[in-house]
Amino acid sequence: MPGTPEADPRPNGPRSVGRSLWLTLPMALWALLMFSRSLALPGPAPKLAGLIVFLYTTTLFFLMMRTRRTHRWRRIFFVSVGFLFPIGFIWDLVALRGSMSIPIEQMLGGNTPFCFLAIPMMIVPAALTRTLIFPGSILPTAANPHAVGAMVALWLIATLVLGKGWCAYGCFFGGIEEGFAALPRKPRLRHVDPRWRWMPWAVLATTVLLSAAMFEPVYCSWLCPFKAVTEFPEVNSVTSAVQFAIFGALFLGLVVILPLLTKLRTQCAFFCPFGPFQALSNHLSVFDVRVDRSVCTDCVTCRRACPTLVLDERAIERGRAGMSCMKCGACVDACPRGAVRWHIRGTSLSASSETARLLYLFAAWGFATLFGGSIIANSLTKLLGLVF
Amino acid sequence: MTNALGEPLLLGFSSGLACLAACGPILLPWLAATGAGWAGTTTRLAGFLAGRLAGYLGFAVVAWIIGLALPLGGAAGVVLAALVDAALGAVLIVFAVRTTAPVPCVARPVGLRSRWAAGLRSSALGPAALGLLTGLNLCPPFVAAAVRAAELHSLPGALTFFALFFAGTLVWFLPFLGLGALRGLRAVPVVARFTAALVGVYYGGRGVLTLTGVLLHAWHARS
Repeated sequence: MPGTPEADPRPNGPRSVGRSLWLTLPMALWALLMFSRSLALPGPAPKLAGLIVFLYTTTLFFLMMRTRRTHRWRRIFFVSVGFLFPIGFIWDLVALRGSMSIPIEQMLGGNTPFCFLAIPMMIVPAALTRTLIFPGSILPTAANPHAVGAMVALWLIATLVLGKGWCAYGCFFGGIEEGFAALPRKPRLRHVDPRWRWMPWAVLATTVLLSAAMFEPVYCSWLCPFKAVTEFPEVNSVTSAVQFAIFGALFLGLVVILPLLTKLRTQCAFFCPFGPFQALSNHLSVFDVRVDRSVCTDCVTCRRACPTLVLDERAIERGRAGMSCMKCGACVDACPRGAVRWHIRGTSLSASSETARLLYLFAAWGFATLFGGSIIANSLTKLLGLVF
Repeated sequence: MTNALGEPLLLGFSSGLACLAACGPILLPWLAATGAGWAGTTTRLAGFLAGRLAGYLGFAVVAWIIGLALPLGGAAGVVLAALVDAALGAVLIVFAVRTTAPVPCVARPVGLRSRWAAGLRSSALGPAALGLLTGLNLCPPFVAAAVRAAELHSLPGALTFFALFFAGTLVWFLPFLGLGALRGLRAVPVVARFTAALVGVYYGGRGVLTLTGVLLHAWHARS
């Protein structure tokens, strides 16, 4: 039942500067702790990069506090991570072996960094045969420093707290398409059949089943669009040429062209198998997004703002975002009535949305600073190294 | 006698997990896509297993007639596996594309559906075709069974061995009956049809790529 115009429960106007600074202080100290390590590194480039990232993350968090808005500031940070990650990654690859491609012998030898996208594919073979199908080892060794265990542990901790919020604060790929989606003023392709939202579940099912059958991470071998901007098998056969063509086509289609046409995160919404896998963990997280039906006027502004089509009419009617909600905050910020709210499970819907938002943001931004901030610092160090 | 019966049964049972892993990507989406209940799932699973048994026995006959070494080894084995992959992929893609609701975004209008496609979708014929193709697939447990069966030096012996090997693997397929419990979940058939299409593209592509590789190799060898 739609509500009346008098019912907007949001506090009006921006938060005071003093209170915003007070709320930013813990995050500033956390960022300082993270990037103080760069002071010990030789040369001015890492020190300057550390200082820039400290100021950058702290300023964005301050703006989140001051404006009471989440999505715009989160997006700036997330897009920065998305575009800077490949720069640092490719830089390292070129320095290490002069090319983005990796010979198959080196790949089988475990000389490829572990990526969280492989986690869903590893579970079934590991459970049934105690075999790690990703070329690597659980713990770091002298020959293979890229330990799988560290990334899995980091992902697990973040997942327990944020649920699918990982896709809005932790993923170092999603920022690229979010950046392209932010460019056009209006979408050129407005109607996308909502049944395509089930495609990521199919990609997840396909990759899990085929990885168990073939004993290889099938998504990484054949379907990952981000191989085009990170690392791919050396092109020296028909098979590897086809693989490279698939990576390139998927990247161009899903990460560049479709986001420009639809203003959606199309790779996340319609392809990425990690999204649905992560959505299963959304029930573990205490944070979620609800729609207060007593205030909602069914204007569907929130539906249009959702970058992954998770908040549809059914979800609005039900009063809660679907399980694939990545808690980016776009719908909450867009709602003109304050009906879409941050919420902590087990509390009343009438409890303060802003309190829930603050608690969520301290966890999410703390993780983003640790993970994404390090990525930005690493890439900036390389770029600044060209100057200093 | 006990040994003769027990060995293929045990071989089938011990390698059943590998059979399950090999057949899962094909069977699971096919069964789930129909949205059938317990009875429908059981019928389709029975059709699949019957087709798979036919594939096993057919392979045993062919292997015995033309000699075991030919279909299992060298380029002939690679070509056979690639053809089976391509056929599997084609059947799965036809199933996924030629279906109607609830995936209209990848479907054709009802009037264009062929009787053959309808048969693939709704009866045990489709699962039987898939079972036959997976039965012909040269997965490692299957090759182990074929090698052991060839040592028996008689067609009835080889057929019995393959039939018992098949019986040993059966128990691993019983959990698929649980898919009948998913009836009513509206998303399951949609996801399963998308999955069938993706798995079909994977197998079809793998088959075509392998055949291309064989042809290129042969062309290089001639020139």
